[in-house]
Amino acid sequence: MIWRFGLYDNTFDPLWMTDWAFAAVLLLPMVFGALGAVFRPSRLLPVALACLPILLAGGVMVLDYQQVGLLRWQWEVAGIELTLRLSGLSALMLLITQWTAAAVAVYTPGYLRLTLPNASVRWLWPLMGLLVSALSLIWLAADLLILYAALESMGLAAVGMLLLSGKSAALQAGMRYLLLALVGSLAFLLGVALLMSQWGTLDLIALEARVEPEPLTWVAAALIGAGLALKAALFPLHGWLTPVHENAWTPVSALHAALVIKASLYILMMLWGILLPETLFAPRLVAWLGMLAIVWGGLVAWRADSLKTLIASSTVGQLGYLMVAFPLVLGPNIAPLPLSLAWDGFWLHLMGHALAKAAMFMAAGNLIIATGESSLKALAGTSRRLPLSLLIFGMAAVTLMGLPPSAGFTAKWLLLQSMVLTQQWLAVAALLAGTLLTAAYVFRVFRYSFDETAPRHDYQPLAPGMDAVALCLAVAAFALGLLAHFPLGLLHGGGA
Amino acid sequence: MIASIDTVESGLAVCLLMTAIGCLFDRHLLRACWLLVLFALLMSAAWWYLNAPWLALVEVILGSALTGGGFIYVLRTLPSQRLSMPRYDRMRVEWPHRLTKGLLIIAWSIMLGVATQFLLPDMALSLTAHPLILSSVVIVSLGMGAFALHHHLMRRLMAFNVLGSGVFLMLAGMAGTSPSAQALITVGLLIAWLGSLLGVLLLRQLVHQEGSAALNDEYAPVRPPS
Amino acid sequence: MNAAWLPLTTLATSLFAAVIIFSLPEEARRVRTYINLLAAVAKILLVIVMVGRVSEGYEDTFSFQIVGGVDFVLRADALGVMFAGLSSLLWLCTTIYAIGYLEGAANRKRFFGFFSLCVTSTLGIALSGNLFTFLIFYEMLTLSTYPLVVHAGSAKALAAGRVYLRYTLTAGVVLLLGVVLLYSLTNDHSFASEQGLSPYLDDHRGLLTLIFALLVGGLAVKAAMVPLHGWLPRAMVAPAPVSALLHAVAVVKAGAFGILRVIYDLYGIELSVELGVTTVLAVAASITIIYGSLRAIAQEELKPRLAFSTISQVSYVVLGVSLFGPFGTIGALAHLLHQGLMKVTLFFCAGNYAEELGVHRLDEMDGAGKRMPLTSLAFTVGALGMIGLPPTAGFITKWYLGMGAIEADMYWVVAVLVASSTLNAIYFLPIVHRLWFREGPAHGKGQWPKEQPLGRLETHGWLLWPAVLTAVISIGAGLLAGLPFSPLDWATRVAVGEYLP
Repeated sequence: MIWRFGLYDNTFDPLWMTDWAFAAVLLLPMVFGALGAVFRPSRLLPVALACLPILLAGGVMVLDYQQVGLLRWQWEVAGIELTLRLSGLSALMLLITQWTAAAVAVYTPGYLRLTLPNASVRWLWPLMGLLVSALSLIWLAADLLILYAALESMGLAAVGMLLLSGKSAALQAGMRYLLLALVGSLAFLLGVALLMSQWGTLDLIALEARVEPEPLTWVAAALIGAGLALKAALFPLHGWLTPVHENAWTPVSALHAALVIKASLYILMMLWGILLPETLFAPRLVAWLGMLAIVWGGLVAWRADSLKTLIASSTVGQLGYLMVAFPLVLGPNIAPLPLSLAWDGFWLHLMGHALAKAAMFMAAGNLIIATGESSLKALAGTSRRLPLSLLIFGMAAVTLMGLPPSAGFTAKWLLLQSMVLTQQWLAVAALLAGTLLTAAYVFRVFRYSFDETAPRHDYQPLAPGMDAVALCLAVAAFALGLLAHFPLGLLHGGGA
Repeated sequence: MIASIDTVESGLAVCLLMTAIGCLFDRHLLRACWLLVLFALLMSAAWWYLNAPWLALVEVILGSALTGGGFIYVLRTLPSQRLSMPRYDRMRVEWPHRLTKGLLIIAWSIMLGVATQFLLPDMALSLTAHPLILSSVVIVSLGMGAFALHHHLMRRLMAFNVLGSGVFLMLAGMAGTSPSAQALITVGLLIAWLGSLLGVLLLRQLVHQEGSAALNDEYAPVRPPS
Repeated sequence: MNAAWLPLTTLATSLFAAVIIFSLPEEARRVRTYINLLAAVAKILLVIVMVGRVSEGYEDTFSFQIVGGVDFVLRADALGVMFAGLSSLLWLCTTIYAIGYLEGAANRKRFFGFFSLCVTSTLGIALSGNLFTFLIFYEMLTLSTYPLVVHAGSAKALAAGRVYLRYTLTAGVVLLLGVVLLYSLTNDHSFASEQGLSPYLDDHRGLLTLIFALLVGGLAVKAAMVPLHGWLPRAMVAPAPVSALLHAVAVVKAGAFGILRVIYDLYGIELSVELGVTTVLAVAASITIIYGSLRAIAQEELKPRLAFSTISQVSYVVLGVSLFGPFGTIGALAHLLHQGLMKVTLFFCAGNYAEELGVHRLDEMDGAGKRMPLTSLAFTVGALGMIGLPPTAGFITKWYLGMGAIEADMYWVVAVLVASSTLNAIYFLPIVHRLWFREGPAHGKGQWPKEQPLGRLETHGWLLWPAVLTAVISIGAGLLAGLPFSPLDWATRVAVGEYLP
């Protein structure tokens, strides 16, 4: 199981170009973010140009990985060992992060021009840059110190970004998020402290070699799990998510729901994979909570009156799918075929959801800008006047519902196969029920939009490129589903 | 000399505990902030005592100067033209809330003590031998309780700082003061400072906009007659 | 040599048409019309090429791997090409009809865009080479037909859309479960494989039966078998071209076609009989046939009557499938095509009556034969074909089904066939009588509900000629059934390929 996370020794050293690419991937987002604070780009082109070197660097790293397999970087600074590695999974997550963040960044200038926000907009770019750097670091980290630092930076950057809109509801929600995130990080730190005290190392590979199943490990895993569950909005610690998204700016919501949440889930999976590889109880508990999350998220989204509330609640439900997959990946005596299927399905779903959620938030943002309101009732008649935004919303929703030909469908297929092979019928029922619940609230949106009896008249025209970017993300989610072979090949390990 | 080391350490521990209690449970906010600064200085003394001079330096800069300074700065710049003094937490805590949170604290501290004592057969600095570490357990419980108990956001943020310091001390107790542990604690201190800074700036904005220094759903704001 | 591009391009024509239509602005009517017609004609030409290839013995395949062990496969085999031919021909006719029908209406871009997507999905269903690909296009069909059903945007249309989704999405979930169970048992099983699922019979009899029930259950919703038919009468609120498409070509036929594939190409007919599921299916189909006809008699409006008639008629296909023996198969396959032609004619005529004369109810149709002779002639042809009078195509179908029933020793099926023909006559003949032999507004008695002369002839040319064309083709399918490449001949070809070792 650990080799899937890339926690083993590498055969080849990275090329010098890869080293530069590595530095670029981690530092350029922050640099460009700082530049963005100074220059405040209001056109699409400078932002796109700034994204280009970052994407290129990411591509270089992935290409090198494909040729030689796992890449590792190791330094010793003042008696502390720092390790970073690029595995197949890290490469995939890095690509998704960079491209989604690039899409959001390209979307932002148009959005800012149309919504005329307050002066705090100059903080948006540096915070975005910090967030992307922190995320990249999380995917690459191979020891607990870097992981902790990156996780916390990401959390603070996320809180900062969500507060930018300045509305008092946003501030309230942001405060709650901040307090919970800080407490969560302390719980995480306590867990790490327990591990360090007993096993004496922060390096993940060394930890995996030394760890033994005993009460201390379980307590540490529980503390780490609680802290991360709080940050990842896993049921029942999800209450902060919806208020925070209701009032945030669209690009911030897109980035947050797509990527920030996923990072905590990734760390959770990785650390529990190290600490609790053969436990029965903990993954099952998570799966039960996941089933509740699917039902809860679906019901709340169904009853939602505002578009953003609907999308945020749907995130809670979709995370439930991932939670339900936990016992398929972690646990004693899992046969290799279901494990491999569930592994593929888990990450494919994660990636598909990231792309689709970002696209959905962008499409919703476009609809809200155009209609001027954020409630569902304001959508009446939009199917005639704003067909593209609705189409994008629909395409993103197809991925969330898990209908073909999207990534959500392929992921659901893999997870269902794994569940059938391990005879977890309750999980199958939960997954299928989730599909129907998702369809219920998605088509409720369309019901409002197809309504011709209450026509609106003045729609705010959108900047060029806003819809195009969202469309690209939605199409990418489809492509990920149909051509799943390629990313999954990367996941399984490339090269030597 | 063993006896004198123990005395210094015990004295430090007692002072830490008292400042923590004062900071956490004082309703006069400015006084509580100064107590927090004092607490941070005592913490750096503790780090010095535990052979972590770098950590002591970081604590002095981040913990007392920057964090405490941040709190005091925000407190001084809160609007004071209202009749009810914003520098005093007048929010009343109902007894059911007090009871539930009190029980939580007790449960939590018992769990914590048991866990640390029995789970870790050989802590770097064991509880019984080092009163500092014992006090850290108590500080963590108190901090947790205060965080859950209070409504006023500034007190919650201060409670978080105290809680964080307690956790760092516990970490040092469990894992020793190796470079890795020190690095972890440094990162933690940095994040705690940044988080507190964000929190108090946010708090100031909230008071400005809403007139209340508590989260809406937990405590209905009492609008001062203006 | 494998012309892999052929199935792919056939799908691509309407997919590209959809993309282009969505990117054009709403006002670009002319261009949109050209694109629609061009794509439809191109598709028919490609299907003709495919028919030629299949008759020479080739089975062009296009495939790529989606995930490990699961491929996306498009294959042009005899059965698929048959359905594809029906779809593309009727798509052309329905496109012309829709262009005329929606003249002056709003939201045409949305309509035609999803119309094209709908046909892409139908062709994908026809050309699927395995169950996974079939599932993909099956769900895509649901998604692309929803905007067509709720096109009008009224409260009734939205409610109908909600019911439609409830039925079809649940069906999709059930179908998905069946497919997943099957794949966990057998891995990727192509429709073209010769041996069916017989090797699994000994160890997994119960599981195979369960999977069959799930698959057919999911498919039966789209095929509108009782008691899963509830969405169909309500979907009548959609515009006439949509009803024509849903009932003659796309949705309902897709369900029936799926059942065909499951029994013939997935399980194999011998296994199905062995498991005993064919008898159950025959009973269910018979119930649907009788029930549909009875409900049709009770209707007083034209479109709902035609809807229930569809429910009844499509189950002929399912009935034929469940009769073991070549005659039943031939009857089922031929009926798939014949019913499509006849039903689309009837719906076109119903739409014409509604548009030109404002006629929705049956008692308003008196004397329409004089006012709209060609339309009424087409309607009569279609109605007689439904009843099954020689020499219409419907007669041929019923003949073969009867023979198949006798061959399979299921004599009660013959009784069902006779009864349903009688019931068909009971609800179709009065309409024909009204059209031709009653006196109405055309003779000076009373007024048409809402007359709006739409063209120089009895109605707009775009509305009239498709109806006439399909009526003529259905007569031809009956009269010229003996010729090669007729529906009957093709059905025989498929059946022979199925039953011979």
